Amino acid sequence: MSDWMRRVLEGKRETRKRLAALPFSEKLILLEKLRDRSLLIASTTLRQQQLHKG
Amino acid sequence: MKATLAVINQMQADGVIGRYAIGGAVGATFYLEPSATLDIDVFVSFKHDQGSPLVTLAPVYEYLAARGCQAKGEYIIIEGWQVQFLPPGDALGEEALAQAIETQVDAVPTWVMTAEHLVALALQLGRPKDFIRILQFVEAGVLDADKLDQILRRHGLLAKWERFGDRFLRNL
Repeated sequence: MSDWMRRVLEGKRETRKRLAALPFSEKLILLEKLRDRSLLIASTTLRQQQLHKG
Repeated sequence: MKATLAVINQMQADGVIGRYAIGGAVGATFYLEPSATLDIDVFVSFKHDQGSPLVTLAPVYEYLAARGCQAKGEYIIIEGWQVQFLPPGDALGEEALAQAIETQVDAVPTWVMTAEHLVALALQLGRPKDFIRILQFVEAGVLDADKLDQILRRHGLLAKWERFGDRFLRNL
């Protein structure tokens, strides 16, 4: 594994750790944002076309 | 979600449901980083109809429908969130419900399953997304190994855990 990739993975690990350490209330607000984005993506025309293509 | 939990708490205070605990992805979020989910799994001790061993969701649906909530498939929409009410199902589920820990969401009390019970239930379900969640718990280092071992032992999941370990944990 290259140094660059190692740094990327370490950065991701740190971000996950920081997010996990947030208070539950704040994490639930983030969950709501994630849900809203998931619903938005699911409702786009492009996504619908992909689903119909199977 | 705070408003959703407040409605569920009121339903509990009104005697429609007994003890409840949040499981699934939202429960896991208590311990881990948030990950996208569309619904809330709420494990609930239901009241049985007298003389019937069957669990009925009817009182929950009636209570919530009277307050403007709509059913959508296996979910009920409460304050914008799809909520699935689930009976514990077996001894592991009963134990997870009984040992859930109390927390607060902006002064609204609620109950979340322990990390070890969430892992045991995920292992029992055994879908790919459950295995991913177990790995997240392991990597986050939030599990009490002795407690998890006792739960897995009590509920006959040790062999399954060993298979999971052979498959996914060897290179960690």
